[in-house]
Amino acid sequence: MTTRIHPLLILFTLVVYVFLLGPLIIIFGASLSDTTYLTFPPQGLSFRWFQNIWDISAFRRTIVTSLQMAFLGTGIALVIGIPAAYALNRYRVALPAWLSTLFVLPILVPEIVIGFSLLRSVTVQAGVPVWYALLIGHTLLVIPYVIRVVSASLASFDFSIEEAAISLGSPPAKTFFTIVLPNIRSGVIAAFILSFITSINDVSVSLFLTGPGVSTLPIQLLAHMEQFFDPTIASVSVVLMLLTILVMIIVERTLGLAIVAK
Amino acid sequence: MKRLAGWMLASPATLAITFLLVIPVAITVGLSFGSPGQGDWGIVQPYADFFASGFRRNVLWRTFTVAGWVTVISLAAGLATAYVVARCPPWMKSTLIVLAVFPLLTGVVVRSFAWLVLLGREGMVNQILQATGLTDGPVAMLYTPGAVIVAMVYIFVPLMVLVLVGVLENIPEDLLQASSSLGAGPVASFFQITLPLAVPGLIVGAVLVFTASFTSYATPHLLGGTRQMMMGTFLQQRALVAFDWPGAAVVAAIMLAVIVATVLVMTRLARRLNPMAT
Amino acid sequence: MTQPLTIDRITAHYGTTKVLEDLSLSVAEGELVSLLGASGCGKTTTLRLVAGFLQPTAGAIRLGSKDLTRLPAHQRDIGLVFQNYALFPHLTVRENVAFGLKQRKVAGPERLKRADAMLDRVGLAHLADRLPAALSGGQKQRVALARALVIEPPLLMFDEPLSNLDAKLRIDMRVEIRQLQRANGTTALYVTHDQEEAFSISDRVAIMHQGRIMQLDTPEVLYQRPANAFVANFVGFENLIPLKVTARNGAEVTAITSEGAALTLSQDQLGPIPNAFTLATRPDGLQATTQGGAGLPAVLGLRTYLGRAYQYQARAGGLSLIANGPLSQPLDPRTAVTLVPNPEQCAILKPE
Repeated sequence: MTTRIHPLLILFTLVVYVFLLGPLIIIFGASLSDTTYLTFPPQGLSFRWFQNIWDISAFRRTIVTSLQMAFLGTGIALVIGIPAAYALNRYRVALPAWLSTLFVLPILVPEIVIGFSLLRSVTVQAGVPVWYALLIGHTLLVIPYVIRVVSASLASFDFSIEEAAISLGSPPAKTFFTIVLPNIRSGVIAAFILSFITSINDVSVSLFLTGPGVSTLPIQLLAHMEQFFDPTIASVSVVLMLLTILVMIIVERTLGLAIVAK
Repeated sequence: MKRLAGWMLASPATLAITFLLVIPVAITVGLSFGSPGQGDWGIVQPYADFFASGFRRNVLWRTFTVAGWVTVISLAAGLATAYVVARCPPWMKSTLIVLAVFPLLTGVVVRSFAWLVLLGREGMVNQILQATGLTDGPVAMLYTPGAVIVAMVYIFVPLMVLVLVGVLENIPEDLLQASSSLGAGPVASFFQITLPLAVPGLIVGAVLVFTASFTSYATPHLLGGTRQMMMGTFLQQRALVAFDWPGAAVVAAIMLAVIVATVLVMTRLARRLNPMAT
Repeated sequence: MTQPLTIDRITAHYGTTKVLEDLSLSVAEGELVSLLGASGCGKTTTLRLVAGFLQPTAGAIRLGSKDLTRLPAHQRDIGLVFQNYALFPHLTVRENVAFGLKQRKVAGPERLKRADAMLDRVGLAHLADRLPAALSGGQKQRVALARALVIEPPLLMFDEPLSNLDAKLRIDMRVEIRQLQRANGTTALYVTHDQEEAFSISDRVAIMHQGRIMQLDTPEVLYQRPANAFVANFVGFENLIPLKVTARNGAEVTAITSEGAALTLSQDQLGPIPNAFTLATRPDGLQATTQGGAGLPAVLGLRTYLGRAYQYQARAGGLSLIANGPLSQPLDPRTAVTLVPNPEQCAILKPE
């Protein structure tokens, strides 16, 4: 379009973007400060607060737990969610309409309510160990994202290709892996990334499901903030940001390349 | 045959959500009700107690107003930004979208924390205010509703921008061309064509932001503290600090009711206002 | 009120790709000119330039004495009918038609009166309160037409307005469009890829190819006297036979192919014939016969049945040609025949 945009509107957009990105830059800067208190612009330049993350064992442990939850939770959600999304698209007429509503319930119901309810039922009443309860929470949290994103990419998938493969003698189960899955690859990758990020940043569900010795990084971060106000928090935040970006890049590269190489 | 195959594939997800979500949440809702013989109000006695408490009413009201303001401000800022982004040349558009996605990838704790730093007594906002002579001493900004609203707007504007860029791009280009060929300038086209057609999308964005801010925990916890408690922080306090399970269940059930009602009413409204359907 | 349109040597780019080069065109007052060509030929680009949705990199566009070149689209005062109708889905039929009047600050009652009168003219008065989603394709097209006409523009433009309608409706609508345009005497520019549509409603047609106008003339001239090989091919002269003149005898000209086969042609029928030229014929204008006579010796290939005749693939020397033959005598492949051109179905193309 060649329509002119009013300069004031452009200025406003610029302000919005400064508002959006400025604070992140400030965290980045604060994490490099050499002072024992949080400040921006950073005074002196040091990586000692990054070192400090490793020195505080609670952070070390929770980073591991967070990664376990994100990878395992997303993995299980993919295993459960992809067949469900496939069924919803392939056998739409044979399945009741309320099923797709059921699948989005974990998004509709407030996370904090899910967390509280799981604490009551799964941890307290059923006596499931904390680590497993946490995994259940994280899996449940991301299932709707998997089903939604994979469904969206199946919606544009031409199922006659699958029928063609079956008519050429390929067994249905094998056809799913050789024909359907490669064609919805980008949807699966997107579902993975979205789920991973949702899981690793989750507060509301984890809040209720962490317990003695088992906690996730965001929850540990909140706990740390209540006692200390040093640049460690900023450096953990930076690590969390970098981790997110790193996972995105790795998944894009490896999953992308693996399938191209076939 | 097809039915069986469909059910087999859909059953793991169906069972997981039924047993790990529907039933636990139903138990919570059940827990929120009292026993029939109890008090003047019978089984709804716990709700009567909730609304009888000025403190609790305040928490609920505060949550409504904060979420309302966050939604309105995010809508306005998001719409203006999305309008510019949608009209940029392609390379600039994709850059701006990536820049809006980046904060979304960053966790809520991290982003709320940034405002904790910015709005503190020694924070940058206070430094600027004092350096420019607008105020003499540091202003207490943390633990006010304003701080919570600012941080939540910060958290939800990127989401709104992304939703609304999609909405605006879905408006067929030739409608805007038709409008300008009939003599409507950019402002007239915006108010007579773009805005009415964007209303269903605006509603979707508003519902998204309203429900998320109504139920949020980390931001009101960090920037509102115990003085500016909202439903999320109150639920956590009841459940994990006071170990008042029934009290927490009432809070959870009220949140659930507000969210479900909002979503149902607004999606119906959005569908009614969608001229592309019919 | 109606004005002539002048497009003066415009060049246009999409990014770095040149899509129009040095294109000039003028449409007289009250005239309907079509831009005809395959997709990508530049016809829609030309329309968008005139509408103001694109900016030319060089050249000027004028409507009457008004220079449109740098004017924003909403100040150009052009009635535009879109391929997808582009009706505003949130406005009723009446509001759609009144939209342009509203922008021109026509008072409410007057606005409604004029919108209703226009709807009456296109026969949709009874649907005025409907939303566009409740209309059929033909009805939508009529609303789009009414919406463009009601502002009484000095210029009307149509961007493939009928391509989303079924065949029968397309013919009705093009008659209707032509009648309304004639009745108002509005200058009109019409873009289409459909040859029959363009020829049937236009005063003149510009055949476009790769950003240039290959020939601009009345449908009759284009159909019978194409000026070059592209236009000839476009209007159905599928056989192109290069010839050299060997003898002239008054109006009679004898010419031979590179293989030496001789044809005798009459300048009375075909117009002046230069010494080197290409004879273009439609398949209808090249009859396959086993009777001998003056023509091109050829060998037949595949035969197809057209209902009114048989059609043959044929090879004459190095040329691949398409010829017709009578139903009374189906001929088999590899039959040796003579291909006799019918002067009424032929055109002379000068060397380019």
